[in-house]
Amino acid sequence: MHEFSVMSQIVSSVIEEARSRNASKVERVTLELGEFMMLGHAQLKFAFEVLSKDSLLDGAMLDLRTVKGEIECGCGFKGEASPREDSLHQLTSAFECPKCGELAKVTGGRDCIIRDISMVVPDV
Amino acid sequence: MARRLVALSKSFWGEKIILLSPLLRNMHKIVTVDMEKDILSANRDLAEQNKALLEEHGIRSFDFLGAIGSGKTLIIEKLVERLKAKGMRCAAIAGDVSGDDDYRRFVSHKIPAVNVSTGKECHLDAHLIDHALEELPLHELDYLFIENVGNLVCPVDFPLGSHTRVVVISVTEGDDMVRKHPAIFAFSDVIVINKIDLAEAMQVDPGILDRDAMSANPGAKIVMMDARHEKGVDELILALGL
Ligand SMILES: Nc1nc2c(ncn2[C@@H]2O[C@H](COP(=O)(O)OP(=O)(O)O)[C@@H](O)[C@H]2O)c(=O)[nH]1
Ligand SMILES: [Mg+2]
Ligand SMILES: [Zn+2]
Ligand SMILES: [Zn+2]
Ligand SMILES: [Zn+2]
Repeated sequence: MHEFSVMSQIVSSVIEEARSRNASKVERVTLELGEFMMLGHAQLKFAFEVLSKDSLLDGAMLDLRTVKGEIECGCGFKGEASPREDSLHQLTSAFECPKCGELAKVTGGRDCIIRDISMVVPDV
Repeated sequence: MARRLVALSKSFWGEKIILLSPLLRNMHKIVTVDMEKDILSANRDLAEQNKALLEEHGIRSFDFLGAIGSGKTLIIEKLVERLKAKGMRCAAIAGDVSGDDDYRRFVSHKIPAVNVSTGKECHLDAHLIDHALEELPLHELDYLFIENVGNLVCPVDFPLGSHTRVVVISVTEGDDMVRKHPAIFAFSDVIVINKIDLAEAMQVDPGILDRDAMSANPGAKIVMMDARHEKGVDELILALGL
């Protein structure tokens, strides 16, 4: 539901970076979204389109990538969370340790990171 | 027709000029710049600062989540009454999209309270709480209750800096509530199933909510309540470690 406000932060960070490099246009923004984030991809894309209108980002491509969740368990397991197919709670079963079945701590997959930006800059 | 031709030739020339300009004048290149900018880290850092500030003052804080009308305000009111009777000093922050009804209810218990209107936003964030804390007499408090905006999706992404997260659902929301919003339950410490006095009338089996809540978060404490008739208040006090 807050895709718009999150995206407006993203767009202003990108514009700030592009301006500091005298870019005339931003071609592509790569965004990494954690699997456990409550942000809808479709809403993010829509917000990106609307917010980039008439800015350095106008017409830029948004490359959205999902980053797998990570868990850490008391038994020593550390790694990717893999949801069970048969689970009632697709999301929450991801927190079960695949090694011992105990509840594991979520250590990754709750981030929203601008990985990189491609932009047109003067060749000097 | 003539006008259209003029327009066409203009755009033709316009295009040509644009095509030529990089060759005639300075050249451009496309570069990819690493950003690695974490958009939500600012909120997370502020939440940690809020928590540190509260701990400095020996305050324990509770963040209440749940749909509109699930009973968050009433439950906080009941807790405040009990704690005040034990000589504890409480305060509350009321988060709402607009209006100050919850704030007035808190103030009526003669405790310090702050009203935080989020405007168009669908959730409280650590920055709003940071400013609310500036308005509270932190030196004179033992407990702080924060009522989040009635929304079961957003607050998951925005920690506020509270010590314990409580999610309140009521049987009037139907027995598939937990299945529809598993994440909020997975990231909460205590789950309250409220309005069990209405379970029969609503033909909802609280046992189903209990079972789903348990499987969404096996580590959470689950409390059945009828806040209107003060049932389950002691159990909640125990679950919160108050
Ligand atoms: N019957 C019944 N009504 C309740 C219970 N808890 C809250 N209510 C009522 O539900 C309405 C909404 O409660 P409120 O605390 O304002 O919900 P909030 O929006 O989550 O803060 C109010 O009229 C309360 O009196 C309960 O356990 N049983
Ligand atoms: Mg309320
Ligand atoms: Zn939100
Ligand atoms: Zn394990
Ligand atoms: Zn500020």
